[in-house]
Amino acid sequence: MLILKLLPLGLAYGILQVALHVTGDGDLARRLKARDSKAMAELYDRYGRLTYSLILRIVRNASTAEDLMQETFLRVWNRVQSFDAEKGALGAWVLTVARNRAIDHLRSVDGRMQAGAIDLDHLENPRRFSTIDTSALSIDRVRRLKSAFEKLTPQQRQVIELAYYEGMSQTEMADRLQQPLGTVKTWTRSALQILRSELAGVAIA
Amino acid sequence: MTCHELSEMFELYALGVVEAEEREEIEAHLARGCDSCNAALAKALAINAGIFSLVYQKTPRRRVKRRMMQAIGVHYPGWGWVWALGGALALAVAIWLGVQERQRTTELAEARRTLLEVRGERDRLTAALRFLSDPQTVPASFGKGQTAPPRGYVFLHPQMGVLLIASNLPPAGAGKTYEMWVIPKGGTPRPAGLFQSEGAGAVHILNGPLDLDTVGTVAVTIEPAAGSAAPTMPIIIAAPVGT
Repeated sequence: MLILKLLPLGLAYGILQVALHVTGDGDLARRLKARDSKAMAELYDRYGRLTYSLILRIVRNASTAEDLMQETFLRVWNRVQSFDAEKGALGAWVLTVARNRAIDHLRSVDGRMQAGAIDLDHLENPRRFSTIDTSALSIDRVRRLKSAFEKLTPQQRQVIELAYYEGMSQTEMADRLQQPLGTVKTWTRSALQILRSELAGVAIA
Repeated sequence: MTCHELSEMFELYALGVVEAEEREEIEAHLARGCDSCNAALAKALAINAGIFSLVYQKTPRRRVKRRMMQAIGVHYPGWGWVWALGGALALAVAIWLGVQERQRTTELAEARRTLLEVRGERDRLTAALRFLSDPQTVPASFGKGQTAPPRGYVFLHPQMGVLLIASNLPPAGAGKTYEMWVIPKGGTPRPAGLFQSEGAGAVHILNGPLDLDTVGTVAVTIEPAAGSAAPTMPIIIAAPVGT
């Protein structure tokens, strides 16, 4: 548990909670596909806190976050039949669905939906998550990502946050930051390279 | 773009934030079944999920889970039963306190009534003592000529009136009461108050000035509970005055 000392308490608790269960996600997914309602309660216990925190980070309103959280879990419940229970990373899928629901909400509030924003629906297709390493949310990987994140410059961190938590394209970031598009693309590309290289030592399927 | 150039954008593609032209090129490439790009996309999805999990965590309210379970058709009790139980207990305590309060009020009223009765008795006895100790008090004969008469005393006082102390009274009976009469010499009986006996005895006082020279007899009869304007027979006590 030494590595947990390097992380903020709230983050460490959440990671530990998820990490203790990731190995049992296959069985949980099978039970969800069998329409076992207790499995749904278990899914909530396992990923509810993290999902809520992610949505809240994006929409910044507790009541809206609760509504979107419910929408997220209902979507998972309704689409789990397409999920590969043997190979899929359930947590990664749930978080992706949650993030996309929150970004969809932001876009609808901002009016960006009409501006030709990309439909996120097909990007969270459960089949896409059948080839991801089931340890995507393991303690070791999250610790490495956290460490890599701290190596980013403020500009790199800012563009990553705008992309992940505000759903902005690089053109939108350039407008927001009043920087040339080329500069924003450089910041984004270099930030992602740092994150990837930090994880390079960790096996990914 | 090459596979490597495309893979540099997979994280942003999976987030839905690449430009339309880039997205179309990526999707067209993936549709051709490029194994290395599909593997790179899987890595990008894993990185994205990892970054999502870096948020500072907060706990949602309990009701969110209940709402979610209800949305999929499952009755989820949550903590509502605790409130219901608490409400029922509070109601039971309130009822118990109400009953206790009513019982206490009843007991208090009973105690007040007893106290008033005791005070009344004390006052009556005090008046009787004052009556007896005054030098102007004169006795009247009691029960003379009667068979197994009630025992006791009748005293008269020019200012305080008549004092009757009696025992061995016959039972008045249900709905009946004792009534004292002051009978003037050669006149009609005047009502002198109603009283009840305790056991077979009683103390009764008629308050007020009295002309002892005109009083012939003090008598007691048994009358209806509301009393009578004239005595009905028989007379159970007859105490002639001045004989």
